[in-house]
Amino acid sequence: MSETLIETKNLTINFGGLKAVNKVSISIHKGLFTTIIGPNGAGKTTLFNLISGLLQPTEGTVIFKGTDITRLSPMQRVAMGIGRSFQLTNVFPTLTVHENIRLALQAKNRTGYRIFTSYKRFRSLEEAATKLLEDVLLHDRGNFLAGSLNHGEQRKLELAMVLALKPDVLLLDEPTAGMALEEVPTMLELLEKTKKEQDNTILLIEHKMDLVTKLSDTVIVLVNGSVLTRGTAAEVSEDPEVLKAYLGGGILNETTA
Amino acid sequence: MAALTNIISKNLTVKPVQALLLFLLLVILLIIPMISGMTTITLFSRIFILAIFGMSYDILRGFTGIINLGHALFFGGATYIAGILFNRVGPTLDVLLLAIITAFVLSAIIAYIMGQFAFRGTGFSGVIACAMITLAFGEIVRHTAETLRDYTQGADGLTFRIPEMFQDRFMMYYYALIFLIVMTIVLRQFVRSPTGRVLQAIRDNEQRARFLGYDTKKYKLIALVVAGMASASAGIMFALLTRFANTELLTVQSTLNALLYTIVGGTGTLYGAIIGTGFVQIAQNSLLELRGIHEIFSRWLIFFGAIYVLVVLYMPKGIIGAFYQLHASWQKRKKHG
Repeated sequence: MSETLIETKNLTINFGGLKAVNKVSISIHKGLFTTIIGPNGAGKTTLFNLISGLLQPTEGTVIFKGTDITRLSPMQRVAMGIGRSFQLTNVFPTLTVHENIRLALQAKNRTGYRIFTSYKRFRSLEEAATKLLEDVLLHDRGNFLAGSLNHGEQRKLELAMVLALKPDVLLLDEPTAGMALEEVPTMLELLEKTKKEQDNTILLIEHKMDLVTKLSDTVIVLVNGSVLTRGTAAEVSEDPEVLKAYLGGGILNETTA
Repeated sequence: MAALTNIISKNLTVKPVQALLLFLLLVILLIIPMISGMTTITLFSRIFILAIFGMSYDILRGFTGIINLGHALFFGGATYIAGILFNRVGPTLDVLLLAIITAFVLSAIIAYIMGQFAFRGTGFSGVIACAMITLAFGEIVRHTAETLRDYTQGADGLTFRIPEMFQDRFMMYYYALIFLIVMTIVLRQFVRSPTGRVLQAIRDNEQRARFLGYDTKKYKLIALVVAGMASASAGIMFALLTRFANTELLTVQSTLNALLYTIVGGTGTLYGAIIGTGFVQIAQNSLLELRGIHEIFSRWLIFFGAIYVLVVLYMPKGIIGAFYQLHASWQKRKKHG
């Protein structure tokens, strides 16, 4: 088994009386594509929020590359190598698509504190942004305002922004959510390419089972804030407990769960 | 002239047509004092200086998305610093230099402290908290100025003498113009820098900026310090122009004036503040002059209010926004024959 990149130990968060995430202990291994599935309200996004630092746990710890990062801010976690996308598209709508990517590259290169140098002087960033736009098939959209892109394109843009950070681990929260059906294969292709080309460690939340099956090395099933089981896509989709959790079973064999 | 246009175009990274227009504008502005009366000269000098105050506010509101209700403290505070030092030490150039340094250092320190309190939260509640905390800072400074009567003359206002070099209104116009040009270049460079781009990212989506790894609080502090210092520089120039400081310069109304300049001209554009200041000041002056024609114009604030309402209703992106819209529709029409 490859090196453990992220480890959570008894991770718990209470929202009033509700335990949205309850004693979750998981390990994410380097170079593997791990997907978290579970019914709505299972605590998948909350778990992402705990790992990325948007929320602080009530109990438990998050360990990244052997360091306890539980009390670190999101910015510190990004600097350590955790990049994430959001369930609701999260871009800079009034800036151009190219500028969105350039800002992500600038964050990685730590040139943000240059106060009186024109941003256009940083040619390498400009070129790298153009290259990344090509990678996510948005090369003809560079000068468009990000807010004017359709939903699917915005999701691709967000993926490119996370990729620009060259993180050690990518947390992708439902990258196909709200996408038109015909756009899903393109995103699948991009995710496959990301997985293959860059040997990335990816943690994905996804509902579409065909995607999960094609992409995942490991699948973690979360139900009511707790880990129900873990295994390959084939193993979990045949697990009776998992089928039961998904409203009486059978649904995992459909295209979308 | 072509060579000069070329220099402007190259150094300001603007298109040659824009450079030519800028050059023509510069020529007009250089000629104005030679063909105008003292009232117009003073009005334009005032516009040049207040435009910097407006632009400094645009850095916060337009580029970073910060509502600072105490911004006038930097502007009015600097006017007081200059006034007090001229009165206490003497109206010399050395004292002016001392006033500039004092105003810059103090405004940077106050902006830093203000930001430490004001930028604790994020999101909508963060914006409201920031507005309230900055309002409190502004009120503290205003109240202090009213209380320290020995230094400020309280609500009566402080009159002072200024260095001889700035006493000539005609020359003061040119100093104010040079000041406007220099500060516009400096602030433009700032918003076009990597830092400036991060500020715009924060305005658009602070959460995303944080998840790219930007320490958004630090960037907002930089914006506030730069805006505070720019505002203070305008305050010093204002002291040289008016030779008078009163606590009205420190009120929320004073801050709201800066906000109005940017709204009328177009927020997030920088130049919008210059156009907005010009529009507001000239409209205000014209309405005041009309008082002699008809009694109704003595209620000039009614008309002024109506103009604001019309601008907000029909030009939500300000004069510059409306211009861009017209330009875009003209281009579209041209394209479709």
